[in-house]
Amino acid sequence: MSRDTNIKDRRRKMPGLSNKTNQGAPHLSGAPQGAKGDGGLSPALQAHLGRHVRAVFDEVAREPIPEHLLRLLKDLEQGGDK
Amino acid sequence: MRRKVSSSLREQLVAEIGSLRAFAVSLCGDKERADDLVQETLFKAWNHLESFKEGTNLKAWLFTILRNTYFSERRKRRREVEDADGAYAARLATHPAQHGHMEMQDFRLALTQLPDDQREALILVGAAGFSYEEAAEISSCAVGTIKSRVNRARNRLAGILGLELEETGAEGEGLSKTA
Repeated sequence: MSRDTNIKDRRRKMPGLSNKTNQGAPHLSGAPQGAKGDGGLSPALQAHLGRHVRAVFDEVAREPIPEHLLRLLKDLEQGGDK
Repeated sequence: MRRKVSSSLREQLVAEIGSLRAFAVSLCGDKERADDLVQETLFKAWNHLESFKEGTNLKAWLFTILRNTYFSERRKRRREVEDADGAYAARLATHPAQHGHMEMQDFRLALTQLPDDQREALILVGAAGFSYEEAAEISSCAVGTIKSRVNRARNRLAGILGLELEETGAEGEGLSKTA
């Protein structure tokens, strides 16, 4: 079983993520390097936890941006730094 | 001069608001306060743009500002009212109850039971998409510290959710689609 070949495929693309930040990244988002990786949890379990952590995070991240935050940036842009 | 840079920068800032909000909620467990944090973060970021080097990681920079803002406020608050960690769990446990299926709710609750530093590391690396190195910089600690926090967080979550049992019982059954 060549786990390594799977790693890339299994690493889910994360929308909204800036460019390269994902490199070298989280074992959580896929199978870890080497079975039973760091924590002693199986790759399947790690992937399971990873999915849930992302789901909890994305749930908020994907909500519509509150108006007042957008307005703030507009105001800042127009008014400079006051 | 700053103005020209800003217009595209504004868009870049807007693009990070979602993640910033999610990170803020994971820190303070309270959406309203999270939005205040994001607001302050955007404000600070805008007024300190000169300290940001374009081409470097804007997202990490913003996360760092938000985190620092959160902790310095919390330190102040703690001096006034004793805001114990238990309050966090209580807040978070009550508010999202209306949506999400059972499994997600259990998971959310389990997350609240993690120590703050472990939850933070897990969110940064496991959800926000930062590398261990970036997460270490954001949290201003060593890379090894982040790694071990993430590991402890995962183990603890598995424990809380009773997942290790399934795992040793039947090699990943019910969970696995690996390999």
